[in-house]
Amino acid sequence: MATDSISETCNELVFSSFFKAHIKPLRNFLFYKYGNEDQAEDLTQEAFIKLWQNCASVPIEKAKSYIYTIANNSSLNEIKHKKVVLQYEKQHSGLDKTNENPEFILEEKQFKTKLLKSIEDLNETQRVAFLMHRIDGKKYSEIAEELNISVKAVEKRMHLALVELRKKIDFIK
Amino acid sequence: MEKNYNLAKWLNNKMTKAELADFEASPDFEKYEKIKNYSAQLKVADFDENSILENVIKHKKTTPKVISIYRNWMYKVAAVLVVGLSMTFLIQNFVTETQYALNGKKTTFSLPDNSEVVLNSGSEIKFKKWNWDNNRTLKLNGEAYFKVAKGKRFEVETNLGKVAVLGTQFNVKARKNRFDITCFEGRVKVNYKDKEIILTHGQSVTFEDGSQLNTLVTNQNPEWIVNQIAFNKEHLRNILDEIQRQYNVSIDVKTKYQDELFTGKIPTDNLDIALKIIASTYHLESIKTESNKIIFEGK
Repeated sequence: MATDSISETCNELVFSSFFKAHIKPLRNFLFYKYGNEDQAEDLTQEAFIKLWQNCASVPIEKAKSYIYTIANNSSLNEIKHKKVVLQYEKQHSGLDKTNENPEFILEEKQFKTKLLKSIEDLNETQRVAFLMHRIDGKKYSEIAEELNISVKAVEKRMHLALVELRKKIDFIK
Repeated sequence: MEKNYNLAKWLNNKMTKAELADFEASPDFEKYEKIKNYSAQLKVADFDENSILENVIKHKKTTPKVISIYRNWMYKVAAVLVVGLSMTFLIQNFVTETQYALNGKKTTFSLPDNSEVVLNSGSEIKFKKWNWDNNRTLKLNGEAYFKVAKGKRFEVETNLGKVAVLGTQFNVKARKNRFDITCFEGRVKVNYKDKEIILTHGQSVTFEDGSQLNTLVTNQNPEWIVNQIAFNKEHLRNILDEIQRQYNVSIDVKTKYQDELFTGKIPTDNLDIALKIIASTYHLESIKTESNKIIFEGK
């Protein structure tokens, strides 16, 4: 009964494999939310510390929702939200180089920069959902579960994020 | 609902072919496609996962929950124990206790004041342990021998009458209509219907169908305690009843019961001798059929 779950989450091997599987998505989620990497890492660490400390009462199958609940309830009072600074993976220019002319490459580069800026300007809920999907490759259902909202709400955020990005890109000069 | 969130559908590759074709034809498609492709190339700076893990593991697992579970568990056990113990206490003290001696068996037991009781075959005694020292009353059905510890009034109730004593040894026999009381030590007061008799040691009294018979005994104990039964002017029917109880057998008498009364002793540990005594006294022949059945026939 209770003793089984105690040993499970409290088992260092079980815990560290759970940690490895969830640390990055959780930290990214907090980063998308607050735009501050250090803070995101601190909050992530805190969430895992709480899980570790209370491992006896949190069965491993509840651990994920436990850390996301802590993350969702977290707040940053001291530090104001920063812009979410992202970067592109470097090797992804291979195709452009071979086929396209220099003007096109420049255009694309400008577009990419505009896209980054637009994402930075998205509101928090749209940005978090959009980046969880695009960067962490999560399914809508996963995002819904982690943010504790419905799948329909995730779809709405994704849709609005795209509409918003599309508009913003045109406005940015 | 705006376009049913078709952009979300598209981003999730869930558009139907027709929807996709429509969307691809729209002027905005190219830009959306770029957003989709370039956003997939985004990444977040890496960080040191292992040092975070180390930091986390370094923390002590707090065990308040464990303690609380443990405590709950302890409380449960304690509650069960308390309930269990009090139930046992109640049962032991308030509920009437019954001691039996089945046919062919004798039971010896002690009362709370260390008075000793020996139950003869086919008898039962009921009593309450609660407040025993102040209320030494028990109900007897059958025959029993008592060695009563000194103390307050000790009472034996039977459906025939009541016997009350103060520290003594006595035998009470209440079978059918015959009520035998023998006092071996001390004094015994016997109530039978409206009569009250005090027996001193070595005296015995028998009431049968209203008639009273006083006798003297010389034994220190009732005979059945040492595997004998003493009968004093007893009817054959009663003697056979007693034998049936003692040996746990059934006895059939194929002739008319004789009226002669029997005085004498019959062993309770040797059926053959017991049967021989009866047979020769009453001029009968005993036939053992099965192991537990005996038939008496006239000679």
